[in-house]
Amino acid sequence: MARYRGPLWSALGIASAVLLCAPAFVAAQSSATTSKAGSAPASNSAAQAANAKSAGSGKAWVMPRTADGHPDFSGYWNQLTFTPMERPAKYGNREFLTKEEMEQVFKSGVRGSYDPGAAGSEDRYGGELFNPDSVDYDAATYGLSPWQNGIQPNPRTSLVVDPPDGRIPPLTEEAKARLAKGTRPGGGFPYVVDDHHGGATVHADNARDLGQGTSCVTQSGGPPLTPPEYNAGVFIAQNTDSIVIETETGSEFRVIPLTTRPHVGANIHQWHGDSRGHWEGDTLVVETTNMRPDHTYRNGQPDTEKITEYFTRTSAGTIEYKFTVNDPATWTRPWSAIIPLSASTGPMFEYDCSEDNNDAVNILAGARADERKAAGKPAGPISQK
Amino acid sequence: MRRYLGKAAILLSTMVVACLLLAVKPVAGQAPAAGAKAPAAAGSGGKVATPGEFPPYKPPHTADGKPDFNGIWQAFVTADVDIQDHDAQAGPHPDVMGAYDAWPGGQGIVEGGEIPYRPEALAQKKANAEKRMVVNITSDDHRHDTGDPELKCYMPGVPRANYMPFPFQIVQTPHVIMMAYEFARALRTVYIENDKTIPEKPPADSWMGWSHGHFEGDVLVVDSKGFVPYSWFDRAGDYHSDALHVVERYTQVSPYHIMYEATIDDPKVFTRPWKMSFPLYRRMEKNIQLVDFNCTEFVLDLLYGQYSKK
Repeated sequence: MARYRGPLWSALGIASAVLLCAPAFVAAQSSATTSKAGSAPASNSAAQAANAKSAGSGKAWVMPRTADGHPDFSGYWNQLTFTPMERPAKYGNREFLTKEEMEQVFKSGVRGSYDPGAAGSEDRYGGELFNPDSVDYDAATYGLSPWQNGIQPNPRTSLVVDPPDGRIPPLTEEAKARLAKGTRPGGGFPYVVDDHHGGATVHADNARDLGQGTSCVTQSGGPPLTPPEYNAGVFIAQNTDSIVIETETGSEFRVIPLTTRPHVGANIHQWHGDSRGHWEGDTLVVETTNMRPDHTYRNGQPDTEKITEYFTRTSAGTIEYKFTVNDPATWTRPWSAIIPLSASTGPMFEYDCSEDNNDAVNILAGARADERKAAGKPAGPISQK
Repeated sequence: MRRYLGKAAILLSTMVVACLLLAVKPVAGQAPAAGAKAPAAAGSGGKVATPGEFPPYKPPHTADGKPDFNGIWQAFVTADVDIQDHDAQAGPHPDVMGAYDAWPGGQGIVEGGEIPYRPEALAQKKANAEKRMVVNITSDDHRHDTGDPELKCYMPGVPRANYMPFPFQIVQTPHVIMMAYEFARALRTVYIENDKTIPEKPPADSWMGWSHGHFEGDVLVVDSKGFVPYSWFDRAGDYHSDALHVVERYTQVSPYHIMYEATIDDPKVFTRPWKMSFPLYRRMEKNIQLVDFNCTEFVLDLLYGQYSKK
């Protein structure tokens, strides 16, 4: 792909203009309510609903606060993004897109949500998922479409913001060796084994082979919070002692105490770890320990991986959600990413995973039918009734 | 003689009165003799607590003026086994599990003792109980026709979630009350704010119901509908339909107790509404918090073994 050759200064000027003018591009920033620190806030979801609608009224937005004066993140958010994790080469060392590029990525993303291989969706996720032969389903049938759920264009070239080149640092030699032994990669479908010749086979002997997501053991919640391509809703309930973060896929939740209480003992391991939150000014900082060894982020080393999250409400419509991954056994240096949470509207529905897991039945039954066929026997019924 | 008797009478009566006066000792400030029962502290009423009775209590309020239900709570009844009176019994595989999996006996939580089943529904309950251990997962809705959902680590429904032998946490905000359950990481959202973007009627069915809450004085009242018909009330096969309507009342009766009551109204299954009630206890361990019980990972072979490679 051709590298942009425009002068650096004009690119910076455009980028600055994008930053300054961004509120005009996105949904209205006006607040429907104001709130005095120390008093119970008026309906936050009503404020967000008003913000998600059309043009701003020009009123200054006032941060809603809990009874003890800290920012209140309560409400419905959506973490869907079309920005790739790592900076595509075509953007060079630019942290921010031009206004035109930002619009193009957003349009690409919306188009690709309906049809991942469609012409016009090439810029979605930096082209990582572009596949003209894709037979993926229309993700919009499973949740709100991007034009309904409040997602806003993201001016950044990548979610990774540190290191400054926008790319995840290299793996350590130890991590390369550890992962070469076949640790399941984070995400994806671990039971689909790429044969590196344009095909793939399914290795699904039992439900464990399907991976934690498809077997409905755990599907979301982090830390860190990372969005799926749909059902990327996040619901936050907050009082002065605790913040509850519910993620839509799998209806998973974390209850994060906002106290100085010590972490739970080292012999307890949790799917979402053990989190403690504290305030640094208007930023909520959440530190998490006690992750399960079989559920670390991007296969980090369980004894050393530390994830720190930072929640900062930057406008009526956005929480800037940043996380830092610090795992000297896995990456050569710490790295950070920002994935914005966009104000959305409720409600968020219960997501019954294990209660209705047709995938587990169909993939396993299909694999057994394939085995019977390969052995020259009748395949038999696939979907048991 | 009369003079002697008169003086003796005066002396005797004086002695009696004096003895009586000396025998009545002031309670406050007196240390008990070793081994004697300690007298009650001044002003406490001096009585050992009586099960079923609570002195009048006014709970603390949140900053927005509502009774504060924040905390980690747990029931200590055995209703998950059977919401009616039941004897202790061996578990499903005593030859392997022994006492580990024997089920405790207990007194029921159904007010009045009887569950007013319609006659055909009572037959269904008995069929449920006989087949509670049957697991036949398919890729259609008939997967839910038989077997206790608790066995499969499915969501427990309402009010069973509140009397599972696991703690749950109430996080109360001005907008919602979240009930986060340790069992199967089930979650309830109780809408308490008059938010026009939240539908009054359940927009979709769910295992944990669609709940609206309001306060009547210091009592939290939660009204829930929109249940899928697949959850059970206990392992004894007690069940409901999709017409289930639950009204719960949470009343704090001490700093450490909520008296909990749930009215069950389901005309497809029962001839009239009926109630379950029991106390919820505040977990008072110093650093108490929920610990994962994501039992899905324990039941993968139970659920899908019939499709696994042999």
